[in-house]
Amino acid sequence: MGARQFVFPQAGDDLASIADRVLPDTEGASQQLLSWNLHLAARAGQGRGGLLPSDIVFTEPPQA
Amino acid sequence: MLDLVIRNGLIVDGSGLPGRHGDVSIRGGKVVAVGGRAGDAHRVLDATGKVVAPGFIDPHTHYDAQLCFDPYAFPAIEHGVTTVVPGNCSLSLAPLRIDQRDAFSKMFRLIEEMPEAAFDAGVDWRWGEGFGGMLDTLAQDIALNVAPLVGHSVLRMFVMGADAQARAATADELAAMCDALRECLDAGAVGLSTSFVDIDETYRPVPSRWAGPEELDALSAVLGERDAILQIVHEFYDTELTIARIQQLSELSLRHGITTTLSPLFHSDANQRGVSRVMEAVEVARDRGAAVWPQVQTRPIDISFTLDQRSLMLLTMPAWWQVASIRDHADKIAAIADRRQALVDEMNSLAKRPNGGLGAGGFVVRDVVHDRNDDLIGRSIDDIARERGGSHGDTIVDLALDEDLGTWFIRANIGHDNSPVVGDLLAHPYVHVGASDGGAHVGSFSTFGDTGYLFSEFVRSTKSLSLEAAVKKITLDPAQIWKLPGRGLLAAGNAADVVVFDADTIGRGPEIASDDFPGEGVRWIRRQEGVDTVVVNGEITWTADDGYVPDARAGQIATR
Repeated sequence: MGARQFVFPQAGDDLASIADRVLPDTEGASQQLLSWNLHLAARAGQGRGGLLPSDIVFTEPPQA
Repeated sequence: MLDLVIRNGLIVDGSGLPGRHGDVSIRGGKVVAVGGRAGDAHRVLDATGKVVAPGFIDPHTHYDAQLCFDPYAFPAIEHGVTTVVPGNCSLSLAPLRIDQRDAFSKMFRLIEEMPEAAFDAGVDWRWGEGFGGMLDTLAQDIALNVAPLVGHSVLRMFVMGADAQARAATADELAAMCDALRECLDAGAVGLSTSFVDIDETYRPVPSRWAGPEELDALSAVLGERDAILQIVHEFYDTELTIARIQQLSELSLRHGITTTLSPLFHSDANQRGVSRVMEAVEVARDRGAAVWPQVQTRPIDISFTLDQRSLMLLTMPAWWQVASIRDHADKIAAIADRRQALVDEMNSLAKRPNGGLGAGGFVVRDVVHDRNDDLIGRSIDDIARERGGSHGDTIVDLALDEDLGTWFIRANIGHDNSPVVGDLLAHPYVHVGASDGGAHVGSFSTFGDTGYLFSEFVRSTKSLSLEAAVKKITLDPAQIWKLPGRGLLAAGNAADVVVFDADTIGRGPEIASDDFPGEGVRWIRRQEGVDTVVVNGEITWTADDGYVPDARAGQIATR
């Protein structure tokens, strides 16, 4: 079994900039990406800051 | 003349091969012969009816602080453990600058749940700042072997100062970190540990989490130069993230020729496919030639707590965490009274979370302060609440306040408690038995006795492993994974780390409270069952008849 495709944030990245890069021409790309990365959504909801350089950001949906 | 002969035991040598009867001969701290009939010796131990095996190796511990004031890592040795790996999860006591000690101490005490009084009284930093100095100091006064990791968070602090928890490293800082890591490895570090999950006492991610993949890649290259290991604590609560980390480790292993290990891996009945999916990912990595070892603990998960101190249980309840963090006891009581409804609501909300199995009704009263409450011991909060009326949260708060917050509660069998499934997992050839967390979380659960439990539950009860396979899992396997030369196998020329035990009775005793740490408070420990004798580098260090040998200090830095 392989892992879902993922990337690590680059310097200055937030989810929107990653979404622009990995999901070009996709409407609502940022929200789409967030929906695939609920571990990051949960952290943001707790007011514990943005992306860390070591964070895994999935760039495809969860496997069924 | 031999120093010691262990006579006529069933020798289970760690290789996994069937045991055979005979003697084990020891001289000068080394095994000189295995099997057959030994010659004369200064001391002879009769092991008739007992198993004679290599000393057990515990690869995931946090004895860093305890070893500063307790050379036995009590009670690890009596369970047969002769070698431990401290410094896991990105945290080691060195290299660290003097002005960073306070910040590090807060981080370590929080993450590993070490009482402040015990840490402050026991850790005197007498070695100064460097990793080599710390090991030199440690080596002078230890009764068991130590193969220490250097912590990535500490390495970052050492090089970057406060910026370690603020940003990625510059090229110069990364080069300095690589140099510092080389120095630690040359001084005796077995590898590097890092964490992708931990936070400090202010909820900030620990320094290692501020490192991007290029930093971990550069540090892994250094590990490759020295044939050293990388340990990570991954997002163990999330299967998808765990699988992604396995892919990351796989790439690092292949690129730099290093062994990697991730811990912990738990089974949960609420996520039946989770562990098997993780193991499928491990098998893919192995098929590619990567060395990726998930660590699996033997014991089920349970957590004990009071409302008087911060604990793992309260970590997920911010309002309670805030109250438990108040130092002055009277202020703490007053805060609970002031914020009572919010605290009760937060406690009651546990049952509504996705893992609703942690609902407060399932907590059980473990110990009480007042005799008048003795009849509550062993009863669930749900049971008591039904009798008294009121919510689960109200019941807990009322009881705790009645006892000046001294009541102990326990939530047993939170997970990893399906023995047949866990047994199959432990027996998997790619699973590394470990993750005991030895020496950490002292107020939440006992980290002692996992080796005994391996035999009592998974050899004798579920029969998931043979005696020989179980011994190999905690001797030769970890010695090979961690590259500890001359250990883990009873063979001529190897270190004489030996445990003698009864295969029919070895196990773990009940979890009991112990007040042996410096300062006030208790920790949870388990004493051994069925162990007869423990020998470290040829020196008898513990026996069932006489307990710990007072002057036994044969422990070594296992990597030197």
